[in-house]
Amino acid sequence: MLPPKGHFILHSAKLPAVTAGPYNLLSRHTATPFTVADEATHVTVSSPRYVMPVEQILSTFPPANAEGAFSDRLPQIVLKRRTLPWERNPAGAVEPSSTPWLALVVLAENEGATLSTPTPVTSCVTSGVTLPVPADRDVEQGLYLEVTETVKNKVFPCAADLPLLCHVRQVDVTDTELAGGDDDGWLAVVLANRLPVYDTANDKPVRYLACLVNLEGQLGILPPPLPTDDDGFHFELAQDWVVLNQLKPGPDPVILGNVDLEGLTFPMPELRSPAGRADAAHARAPGAAFGARVASQAQAPTTLDGTAAITSARVDAQWATTASVKAASVAAAAADPDATRLVRDVMGNGFRFPISLVAQEPTFRFPVLAHWSFTTAGADTFESLMLALDVGLLGTVDEPDPAAAPAPAEPPEVVQTGHISLGHRTRRGDRLKAWYRGPLVPFPTERDAPVPGPGGGTRLPVAHAADQLKRVVPGGREDLGLAAAFEIGRLLGLSQLSVVSALTRFRAAQFGAGRGRTVVGGIVDVDVPTLDSLDLHDLGRFVAVAVLTDLAADPITKLGPRRPLVDPGRELDVDGALDEIIAGGLGLDLDVVRKHASAVGIVAALTQTSVPLAYGPGAAELDDNATAALRATLDSEVGRLVEIAVPRRQAPIRRDRQQAADGPRDALDDLLDTLGEEDDS
Amino acid sequence: MKNLASAVMLDEVTAYLSNAVAVVADHDPDDGEHVTPGELRRFLAGLRLLQGVPFSYLVPDARLLPLESIRFFYLDRAWTDAVTQGVLSVGTITTADRAQLEAMYPAIRADVDQAERVQRRRTDDDWLDGAGGTVTGFLLRSKLVSGWPGLHVRAYSRDVLPDDALSTVAETHPDRMKVLRLERLAPAVLLVLIDGVPEVIHIEEPRQGIQFGVRPTTSASQVRVQVRDVATGLSKPPKNTLNDTNSVVVPFRRRAPGVIDMVKLAERLRQLAPGAGSTLEPNEYALQMLRFPYRQVFGDPDEVDGPKFYDLDAFAVTVTATNWATELRHHLTQADIQDPNGEVDG
Repeated sequence: MLPPKGHFILHSAKLPAVTAGPYNLLSRHTATPFTVADEATHVTVSSPRYVMPVEQILSTFPPANAEGAFSDRLPQIVLKRRTLPWERNPAGAVEPSSTPWLALVVLAENEGATLSTPTPVTSCVTSGVTLPVPADRDVEQGLYLEVTETVKNKVFPCAADLPLLCHVRQVDVTDTELAGGDDDGWLAVVLANRLPVYDTANDKPVRYLACLVNLEGQLGILPPPLPTDDDGFHFELAQDWVVLNQLKPGPDPVILGNVDLEGLTFPMPELRSPAGRADAAHARAPGAAFGARVASQAQAPTTLDGTAAITSARVDAQWATTASVKAASVAAAAADPDATRLVRDVMGNGFRFPISLVAQEPTFRFPVLAHWSFTTAGADTFESLMLALDVGLLGTVDEPDPAAAPAPAEPPEVVQTGHISLGHRTRRGDRLKAWYRGPLVPFPTERDAPVPGPGGGTRLPVAHAADQLKRVVPGGREDLGLAAAFEIGRLLGLSQLSVVSALTRFRAAQFGAGRGRTVVGGIVDVDVPTLDSLDLHDLGRFVAVAVLTDLAADPITKLGPRRPLVDPGRELDVDGALDEIIAGGLGLDLDVVRKHASAVGIVAALTQTSVPLAYGPGAAELDDNATAALRATLDSEVGRLVEIAVPRRQAPIRRDRQQAADGPRDALDDLLDTLGEEDDS
Repeated sequence: MKNLASAVMLDEVTAYLSNAVAVVADHDPDDGEHVTPGELRRFLAGLRLLQGVPFSYLVPDARLLPLESIRFFYLDRAWTDAVTQGVLSVGTITTADRAQLEAMYPAIRADVDQAERVQRRRTDDDWLDGAGGTVTGFLLRSKLVSGWPGLHVRAYSRDVLPDDALSTVAETHPDRMKVLRLERLAPAVLLVLIDGVPEVIHIEEPRQGIQFGVRPTTSASQVRVQVRDVATGLSKPPKNTLNDTNSVVVPFRRRAPGVIDMVKLAERLRQLAPGAGSTLEPNEYALQMLRFPYRQVFGDPDEVDGPKFYDLDAFAVTVTATNWATELRHHLTQADIQDPNGEVDG
């Protein structure tokens, strides 16, 4: 039967089948055809006895080292295993009993309770008491709580109270808030029987130590039921041992160092801390040596260093109610590498009086499985504070009670509209009174509505300077609320560079394009197109490309008429008869042309006379006559050229010399020799 | 060639901008398309919610917000618009700049209106669209803020939830209004801005596991435990006060103040608790001692003057299904919802 989410089921007790301890197990087989010998083995059912393993503790309330308003809440510790409070029979019998062996005891500071340092477990119980089955121990050293008889009778639960203080809770495992990390959803809860009350009489926070103690073998020591009193919800120490704060040991334990205090710590004399701050109340408390060490580590000596930043007081330092030095020392202990042991150790500070040495009455010891300390700092609970709240609309001030004493300062001048009158120093230096109203008003207001704008349409009124938003109220005073808002907005915008750059970019992208368009339009009759997207990185290039595109679309009107493609040729200088020049230039026979021209006219003759053309490739057929004629023409021409180039007379002399100087002979040399011989001949 | 007289240029620029105003410039994959760039929009939306505004501008005199007080207010949109205009005035120097700003301002204001509603949006929340309406809120100056930093604040447009309903139900109620800003301005001052005008506001103690304890009374030295029905777990009525019919005085040990006499308390509880047998079992005793987080409701119109205590532990359904159906139908008629068929649901 699983509880639904958000719900839990409460059970009275979950008794285990067997209690903890060593057992002899006898195994016997029957109904076998052969005989089997009995087997005797040992079984140990283990359970915590002197130390609660940390993984078995799910949570505590109030939280360890917490400061708060816990006056109306019962301290509790939640254990993961559901049968833990019933795993041992406190009376010592073997069968499980519904009376739990665990109890949560809450002790205030200065009540004379002693939380010891780790000691052998045999001395963790009252002298003369031995727990049943002493060999069943989970650790060799444990802590114990030593109290006087008076404190025990007042604070410890009665034997009849014990069953009421433990119960079992069943939740849905997946419900993280209620289960809190448990593995099966079953939790055992041990409640305390004492409320951690706040000291309202002296208005001081009170530090409490909650200890989970083992009651085995000492049920008879628990107090009997006492008469009751209904008006007991106030603070009073069960036994006042404040004088132990001033206890100073004699020189013997300190110098000789051989006094066996059986695990008790004596308050050490004050050490001078290098910070020079003598925290007197803190140093007097027991465990001061450790406290002083911690304090000196926590406060570095303050020097005025120009390179370091000046640290101003933290804002919440002004609001702190009571700075608890002890809570701070626990926090400092948590930073130590040995934190797991040290934190618990420091939480015991203030509870280490050597009671057994100074008390006049018998003292009793109980093993402590777990302990934590917390502080009740304030009598107000959430409910009481909520009920005491003064409810109203902002901008209203209560009328001063005529019966009460007049307030030291003049009440603020507030009107129904929520305006308050504040001192105002004008630009000229006059000191006047002005009205101010912030954004928080006691009635709904209207927003600026659109007003008709120029050229039709509506526009919203926009202020461009703070002075535009000043209003003057009948009576002469100014209303500066909106002007102050404008100014603070402007200053906030200017204070952040990212905002300024975003505004500049926004303005350049949105407005700069428009401005560029208009300017260009004014210069050249060009329409810069509207922007589709303002994702521009280079506005100039965009405008330039737009201008060029526009120019290219209609160049004649924008730029000018086109240049003709072809330049006209130069004028020709013709002197002489035109027909002679043309015929000569074209290679025509002039007489034929003239003869022809007499018949048809010069132009027609020119057009009809065929121009001698060279043969195309493959068109010419060269027979031997043509070839011989061509060769003869070529030879005569070459000869004529050579006569011009090479004079004949000097030919023989130069030939010899040239022959020696030049390279091997070739065809031209042969030809030149032939010509030279011809001349000679 | 156009005339470059400045007056003409100004008209040209403003005429251009009247077309440019509708230009969507900022394509944000998360936010959609807007005219104003995202960074500017988010900064202005933060200013609209008074982020960065010094506290002396909000509360000019400390006596307007005395110790242990809560003050409700409406947010003046004219004031926040003035702040926005102040930011936009940075860099607006020439007349052309000012004309451009005036042309762009309606689009910027609409953008920022929408951005301020999604400022505090979680990933799976609905995307609120459109211009926000009135913004209200309250300032709480009290030790509650410093002592219980994880206060839960919920606002509802209609008081539909019974004051003692489980708060897990209340998270997703459709009438729940969005909290635009919930911030501790100082260790003991809390500012909350709510989107709309709520009818009720719940402020709840943060949960810290299951606790057991007693209730304070008017007498400083007496405390009481309210009795619960053993079968159902509901508190015994009346709910608002603790008197001798529904609560017992806690007995303490004589001369041991603060130490509860458990047996005697169990006996007193057994005598008064309905459904208890001849003895009070430990689990029944634990049931009586349970203390749930306290919830304070502001603005409940059914409430009369007097101290209010809304016990949160409802172990059973409090509204039957038929009642719920009737209520739903009643609200639907009020809202005048149209049927898909086109008929008005009467």
